Amino acid sequence: MNNFFTNILINSWIELAARWLLGATFIYASYSKILAPAVFAKIIYGYDLFPALLINLFAIILPFVELTAGLALIMGFYPRSAALIINAMLLAFIISLAINIIRGHEFDCGCFALDANSQSTFSGPLLTRDIVYFALGIYVFFYRNSRRLCLRAG
Amino acid sequence: MKTVKQIAIILGLSLVAAFTVNHFSPAGIELVGQWDTAQGVVTAKAKNDILIDGIEIATVDQAKKLYDSGEYIFVDARSREDYAQGHIKGAVSLPVGQFEEKMAAFLERYPPEVSIVTYCSGRNCSDSHHLAEFLLEYGYAKVSVFIDGFSGWKAEGLPIE
Repeated sequence: MNNFFTNILINSWIELAARWLLGATFIYASYSKILAPAVFAKIIYGYDLFPALLINLFAIILPFVELTAGLALIMGFYPRSAALIINAMLLAFIISLAINIIRGHEFDCGCFALDANSQSTFSGPLLTRDIVYFALGIYVFFYRNSRRLCLRAG
Repeated sequence: MKTVKQIAIILGLSLVAAFTVNHFSPAGIELVGQWDTAQGVVTAKAKNDILIDGIEIATVDQAKKLYDSGEYIFVDARSREDYAQGHIKGAVSLPVGQFEEKMAAFLERYPPEVSIVTYCSGRNCSDSHHLAEFLLEYGYAKVSVFIDGFSGWKAEGLPIE
C-alpha cells in the first residue's frame, strides 16, 4: 500500500497534472482582476485588513503575480519557485479568510469572478478549496524526480 | 540561494507587467485610492471611472431639507431586491445595473427638467455616482448624490418604506 502511494507521488504525469491544474487555476483567477483592477481594489478594501495606502498597489500587483506564477508552473519555468510564490499567496488568502470568518466579517472573497453586486459568500468552502490548492503546491515543490515538459526546471 | 534568485525573477517579471499594463490600460487605477469614508465615497480612482465631484450632498440633514421641500425626486440606484427590502419613502427605483432597459420608462415619467437626488447603500458604494453620471449624460441638469445613502437615512430614523 505504501508503495502504491509512493509510486503515485513520484509519477511524473501526476506531477504534471498537479502543476497544470494549479497553474491554470491561478491564470483563470487573475483574468477578471486584470480586466477590472478597480473592482478588485474594492474587494480588497472589503476584507477590511489592509491599510488604505496599500490597497491599490495590491490590486495592481497581485493579479500579475498570479498570472506570472501560473504561467511559470504550466511552462515549467522554475516550477519549484513558482509553487513557493503560489503557496505564499494561498497562505495569505487562507489567513485573511480565516480572520474574517473568525470575527464574523461578511465580505465578498473576490476569488474568481468579480461581481460588484454579488452578495458575500459563505467562506468555509473557500477555505477548504484554498487548503487543497496549498497541498498541491507543496507536492509540486517537494517533487524530486525529473519533471515533464519543463522550459527551465531550475 | 538559487530559489531566492528564481523567485526574484518571477516577481520582477510580475511587477514590470503589472505597472506597464496598469499604466496603459484604460481600466488602470491610481497608485493610491480613496478609501476613507470620511472623505465621501470610496473608490480606487480608475482612469475610466471618474466620479464626478461637486454634486455630492454631504450630510443627512441637507438631504432631509431637499426631501422635505418636495421638489426633488429621490432615485434609488441599488438593485431591485435591495429596493424591495427597504428604501427612502417615495423613492423611485432605477438600478444602475439595468440602466439601459429602465431608462426609457424613467425618461417618460420624469422629464429632464426635474431635480434628482440619487443614492445607494452608503459611502461604500459608488452606484449613486454612476447613476448620476448616466442621468447627466441623458440631459438631466439638476442631479445630486446623497452619499450617506439608505443606511445613513435609516440610521437617522427618517421615513422609509
